[in-house]
Amino acid sequence: MKMAVLVKQVPATENIKIDPVTGVMQRDNLQSELNPLDTYAVEQAVRMKKNFQQSTVTAVSMGIPAAQSILRQAIAMGCDEGVLLSDRAFAGSDTWATAHVLAKGLQKLGGFDIIFAGERATDGETGQVGPCVAVQLNIPVLTFVSEVKIEEDGKILATRSVEGGYELVRVSSPVLISVVKEINEPWIPDYNGMMKSRSASIKIMTAQDIGVDKADCGLEGSPTRVSKVFYPKLTRNGEVFSDSDPEKAAQKIVDFLKEKNIL
Amino acid sequence: MKEYSKITSENIKKLRDICTDNAVIYEDDSALQAYSHDEAGGSFYAHMPQAVVKPCSSEQVSQIVRFAAAQNIPLTPRGAGSGLAGACVPLYGGIVLSLERMNRILEIDTQNMVAVVEPGVVTNDLCKKAQEKGLYYAGYPMSVHSSFIGGNVATNAGGSKVIKYGNTSHHVLGLEVVLPDGSIVQYGGKRRKDSSGYDMVHLFIGSEGTLGVITKIFLNLVPLAGMTVDLMVPFESVAKAIASIEPVIRSSSVLPSAVEFLDGTSVKYSCSYNNMELPFMQEAQAYMIVQFEAENSEQIQTLYEKAGKLFLDMGALNVYIADNRNNSEKIWRIRRNWLESLKAIDPNVPTGDVVVPISEIPAMVEYIKAVGKKYEVDIPVAGHAADGNLHPAPLNNGSSCEQWREVSEKILSEIALKACELGGAVSGEHGIGFIKKNLLSITKKNQIESMLKIKKSFDPNNIMNPGKLYEY
Amino acid sequence: MSKDIWTFARVINGRLTETSFELLTWGRALADSLGSSLCSVFISSKIQNDEVDKLFLYGADKVYAIQDERLKNFLPDIYMKAACHMIKKYSPHVVIAPADTFGKTLMPMVASRLRTGLTADCTELSIEDETGLLLQTRPAIGGNVMATIKTPYTVPQMATVRPMAKKPLKHKGSAREMVEEKVEEEFFTSSYEYVGFRQDESSEIALNQAEVIVGGGRGMKDEKNFSRLYELASLLGGGVGASRAAVDMGWVAYPHQIGLSGKTVSPKVYFAFGISGAVQHIAGISGAGHVISVNKDPDSNIFNISDLSIIGDCNEVLEKLVKKLQETGAVIKNERV
Repeated sequence: MKMAVLVKQVPATENIKIDPVTGVMQRDNLQSELNPLDTYAVEQAVRMKKNFQQSTVTAVSMGIPAAQSILRQAIAMGCDEGVLLSDRAFAGSDTWATAHVLAKGLQKLGGFDIIFAGERATDGETGQVGPCVAVQLNIPVLTFVSEVKIEEDGKILATRSVEGGYELVRVSSPVLISVVKEINEPWIPDYNGMMKSRSASIKIMTAQDIGVDKADCGLEGSPTRVSKVFYPKLTRNGEVFSDSDPEKAAQKIVDFLKEKNIL
Repeated sequence: MKEYSKITSENIKKLRDICTDNAVIYEDDSALQAYSHDEAGGSFYAHMPQAVVKPCSSEQVSQIVRFAAAQNIPLTPRGAGSGLAGACVPLYGGIVLSLERMNRILEIDTQNMVAVVEPGVVTNDLCKKAQEKGLYYAGYPMSVHSSFIGGNVATNAGGSKVIKYGNTSHHVLGLEVVLPDGSIVQYGGKRRKDSSGYDMVHLFIGSEGTLGVITKIFLNLVPLAGMTVDLMVPFESVAKAIASIEPVIRSSSVLPSAVEFLDGTSVKYSCSYNNMELPFMQEAQAYMIVQFEAENSEQIQTLYEKAGKLFLDMGALNVYIADNRNNSEKIWRIRRNWLESLKAIDPNVPTGDVVVPISEIPAMVEYIKAVGKKYEVDIPVAGHAADGNLHPAPLNNGSSCEQWREVSEKILSEIALKACELGGAVSGEHGIGFIKKNLLSITKKNQIESMLKIKKSFDPNNIMNPGKLYEY
Repeated sequence: MSKDIWTFARVINGRLTETSFELLTWGRALADSLGSSLCSVFISSKIQNDEVDKLFLYGADKVYAIQDERLKNFLPDIYMKAACHMIKKYSPHVVIAPADTFGKTLMPMVASRLRTGLTADCTELSIEDETGLLLQTRPAIGGNVMATIKTPYTVPQMATVRPMAKKPLKHKGSAREMVEEKVEEEFFTSSYEYVGFRQDESSEIALNQAEVIVGGGRGMKDEKNFSRLYELASLLGGGVGASRAAVDMGWVAYPHQIGLSGKTVSPKVYFAFGISGAVQHIAGISGAGHVISVNKDPDSNIFNISDLSIIGDCNEVLEKLVKKLQETGAVIKNERV
């Protein structure tokens, strides 16, 4: 089985600091990391690889050259190789253009049975790229997947975590599967994985390599435009109740709910 | 020894005058209860205070101490109550002096690399504040998220960073103390050297509130390490795990900042609590966690490569490497939540705190397991391997509360005495409190005599935290 | 090219979801500022006429529908074809869908197929005066940044909006046109086989549709305490949410996780019991009407974004609150359709 995993480099959100006065994000020392939600996709592919002989997993990302490090991380977790789609022309791509580049890259690499993706990235938080890629590749997509089984006849039975429960859906490969966090619990790379990831060479492919027209990527190829960016202040100036008696605190909550016409 | 006086409502009025009305808890059993115990053993070690006072300045502390001394009321200073030896339990009732409101970080002096804090500062808050200025407070007890600096100093707390940075006493440059007569004195300060006379600062470190109340602390800060890497290493035997420590440390160009140990049972409990699964949970009898600090990723790579290879050569089942915060957190969650995971099974789980030479850890662990067998209880063990510091935690197998107190004390005593036999001590970092008082008197007779002389000269009326460390 | 505003409605078990009506409130404001029609669109098995009438009651001028028994369940490829077919035929100016697992699957597929712009999780939609373009405002990077996005060159302009962010509003319209769209047989071939549905035993209410969410974090101490949040949730007719810490501890399953790596919710009231308020968690509750938090640490971050901050032991307060509500029998005022 030939598998791919889509991964993204994102800012390490734990370190994000917001200036409390201006509300502006302080960008100094902003470190980046493998999108935490992508690690579940990587882990799922690697686990399936272990269950199927002669399987391979290719980690694919679109990003700046520095994003090689997250592909190495994916290799350390057990992926066989990493491919970085990187070109100045890709800068400023929105979800449509990003999906287009990824789809072209995947097509060029060719013949994947399953493409895994995370639910969404923790920076853009759209969750749109996975389904968009599937449509551009003209293959089915399973979103919000919390369990995958390969049946004896090779069909894929997936459990989708949806509002109020789980939906069971069956498809044939090729398919794109975007997974949610509950699908597995990734452990951390071992010594061999780390050493392998350090020596692995990351394949870098440009727009020309994958046959992406400049008009279909980057800002030019993006249907959307950001017209304004602003920094909201998240604080609310609420009432503080500090009496240590829990009885009184409970009464306070009831009063508050009544006052706000909720109870 | 003359009887202590009971607190009267007149006394309370006076205490409320010194502080404020809401700074004094009196005749409110449910509120007082919270101050009757620490994290050790549970209700059977609890003693109710008559009153709790929460001062917010050294002056208030001084007035309270003066007042208690005049009235002959015992006074028990208290930090976060996260201790494990009962040191803050008011054995004779009286006043619990809670330092929770003295929680200001007074200064992060970057030029002198010194922090000045009040005792009620949560250790982790100081770590964070120092970090914002590119500095590091290296005192890092496992209870870093709850314990107070004041308590760390009073018990000379250790933690996971001792191998590289030393325990709390290594970081304290000065103390302001309210002595049992109410006088406010400062020893040491913003200076790293002082050879002028007795080292009074270190006399108070680990004194567990028996000599006075610590009201201000000057702490040494060091440069913040740029990056860290954590290795988690399963071994099929404790002996193999421990045997790898020295070669790994020696071969690395730097001291590791942590070398932790968990036995197989501990990992099982902690993983089930954390809802995690680890490789080799069936076969591994020991897991080591090793952390290195470095300036850049090249150094990190060199460090884990060398250490990783050595561990494998020494028979490790595998070596898992975390070079980013998400993966590091996965490793440390297992260690940090160890005690919590045992409490989920036995809320009153007692924890021993023995220390032995590193080389004796395998013998110590073997002995602990043998004791467990003898009493038919499970005794998971975790600790700070490079310090030779182990925490055996016997889990109640269904005995009643009273029975269990007796059995668990027996178990922990046997283990502690064995530790001394192996060249160790009965407490590594939790202190003596009153729970290990007996063990101290058996194992360190000479020291007790000297300690009593010091106690008499500071606190002849035995007002300060009576009943702790020794029989007065 | 019409200036019509389309909102997606969803049918589950023969009934329109609450979100279907909320979306009409979003759409109504846009249609009014453009002076155009508001159309509700659904793809489903055949539903009752009085069910369809509700769409008119809550603001739709026109309803487009493809109804067939084979559309009972959400089969993404057929739904995409159906949606694209209608959009191409009637050329709406704007298409809005809910940012739930349905909308967040279907909309990117449709946008990708039509090569047009789509903006996820909008918290605000308006019409730009000069151009008549849709201004789509959404949070990113955990709500630390807000961005206003436009789709200037292609139509339709597509957006998903968070459920529960607006209330359904009754509307007296004059036009009430129902267009039943017929499609060819070949439409119904799908790559997907719908196998079944299993309800989540731990939660009756989908979190992103709950009016009240009772959230718990590490401060709840253990699983037993955590499970008591359900008592409060059921008294208030709400759902149970959790911080990442609580999910990581295994006290509750991942679908309950709220925040950056979990769900984004907009309940009327959000309770935070023993939640410290990491940036990631706060990102998930910025759309909440009122935030009530209980934490013993007076400096915890959650208090910065709370309307009522209770400094105290979350387990004790929870216990008393449950008791109080049981005794008084107070219930949440319900304004749902």
